[in-house]
Amino acid sequence: MQAFDCAIVGAGPAGMCAAIELARAGVQVAVLDRAPRAGGQIYRSAANSPVPDVAALGADYAAGAALISEFEQVNLTHFTGADAWHLGDDGRILFSHEGNTQELRCREMLLCPGAMERPMPIPGWTLPGVMTAGAAQVMLKSDAIVAEGAIFAGSGPLLYLIVAQYLRLGVPVTALVDTTPRQHYLDAAPHLLRALRHSGQLRKGLALLREIRTSGVAIHSVAERLKVVGDNKAEGLRFVAAGRQHEITADTVFLHHGVQPNLNMTRAMDLDHQWNSEQMCWQVSADDFGQSSIEHVSVAGDGAGIVGADGARAEGRLAALNILRRLGHLSRAERDQKAVKDLSVLSSIKSFRRFIDCLYRPTDALRLPRDPETLVCRCEEQSLDDLRKGFDQGAQDPNTLKALTRCGMGPCQGRQCGHVVAGLLAQWRDEHPETIGYYRLRSPQRLLTLDELSRYHTVQVEAAE
Amino acid sequence: MFRSLQYDDRDQVTLTINGWEVAAREGQTVWSAMAVNGQVETRRAALSGDARSAYCAMGVCFECMVEIDGLPNQQACLRRVSEGMNVTTQRITEESEADDAGL
Repeated sequence: MQAFDCAIVGAGPAGMCAAIELARAGVQVAVLDRAPRAGGQIYRSAANSPVPDVAALGADYAAGAALISEFEQVNLTHFTGADAWHLGDDGRILFSHEGNTQELRCREMLLCPGAMERPMPIPGWTLPGVMTAGAAQVMLKSDAIVAEGAIFAGSGPLLYLIVAQYLRLGVPVTALVDTTPRQHYLDAAPHLLRALRHSGQLRKGLALLREIRTSGVAIHSVAERLKVVGDNKAEGLRFVAAGRQHEITADTVFLHHGVQPNLNMTRAMDLDHQWNSEQMCWQVSADDFGQSSIEHVSVAGDGAGIVGADGARAEGRLAALNILRRLGHLSRAERDQKAVKDLSVLSSIKSFRRFIDCLYRPTDALRLPRDPETLVCRCEEQSLDDLRKGFDQGAQDPNTLKALTRCGMGPCQGRQCGHVVAGLLAQWRDEHPETIGYYRLRSPQRLLTLDELSRYHTVQVEAAE
Repeated sequence: MFRSLQYDDRDQVTLTINGWEVAAREGQTVWSAMAVNGQVETRRAALSGDARSAYCAMGVCFECMVEIDGLPNQQACLRRVSEGMNVTTQRITEESEADDAGL
């Protein structure tokens, strides 16, 4: 079977920018993405938005449309609606496409799995009506659907962005419950000077906060002890702020305290990972060009460590330059010379990120559950108390705890509980997360029917083009 | 309360959600069609039978698993509506599985 020169998994900003570079250099590229159109989460539907007043979503989102259009004009094979469920270090990719499993082979593989919302296991977080702020964004961008009278709770730029977008669209917001601790402003201050290298982003962020403050929406700052109230569905949010307890009624509560890499693909490939203590999450260990511990596998974008959309674009281009070197299209010196600009862009973005990461660092109170009844594993319904009992019985690492309690064994394959379990074990053992490790993940990375597997089919490079 | 910002009704398809016939725009996700029609309960939790609903809306939490045309474990946030589609809240729990085993 003939192989593609390079297969890219994920068509967000990183995947699109890499694909454009590679295709323009004459490389045979296959791009696989689950969505019907390229864009990833950040530029989802940017080229064909169903939102009547799309300008309300902001200039950064609008900029995605130009990138999507550039991507769609280059010569490559784009599999839309393609859900990759096995990636082999032999260059073999298995993916679901229109109800069938297909196989393709590639010489170089670039993984751009993107970010997911950091789970926020507060009491009541499994009630219907509790969703992530990212979910509010997804519904707005892909289907122009909004929740009226919602509460937004947590901390971080994405939370403020969606609140501002709702307000611009005239969607009533019941309250913004901000959990950013006062101490974080002091902690972040030393990083401010370096963040000013990226002053455009800083100005945008400040303008966003001002827009929310002057809108008249109820804002509760330095909120603690959050709990979603309700029996069979969310009925409101209880919290402590300004020295007293509040309870606000709402049928929808959107939670947010940052994003983390979506690890399942890179973990199932068994790439080396490391703990990022500033972002409080695992990320792939890679060099400046995204080359991982398996030399023909590269990573780029938020899936390799949170850098944001502009950082993802730069990382995608850098990964492409290195892949061109590996495929013999560029010498090392040519690669390095072409990389100068993006390496410098990335360094300035990372200075800004350090400030943001410090200011909106997830607090232990929201990252790890405190109430014994709160579920950690949403799929297998394992609570903090259940996990502690497992730990006390001798399950001291994520895999043993999984075997003993089924925590992480459900359909989400640990996507929601993985970081929480690692965090709890680190706390209980008083050890570094690197020592604790993570679940051992395996393919398939999505739910498959035997019927689908029986209709297995191989993609030939010529036929695909 | 979820609502749509779209004010026209072009490209509509008709589907059934928990027995209710509803209209939705072609290409829309099954979850969003459920949400605007007030059918937010996607599944029952496997052990307790508690009501669950979509949490992430982007395919990573698996809370929105519904039954579509009789096939269970379909992620409503990833599937798109189509004409005549039949969507129901997934009620498969340990208890119901034990019942089925006796058949």
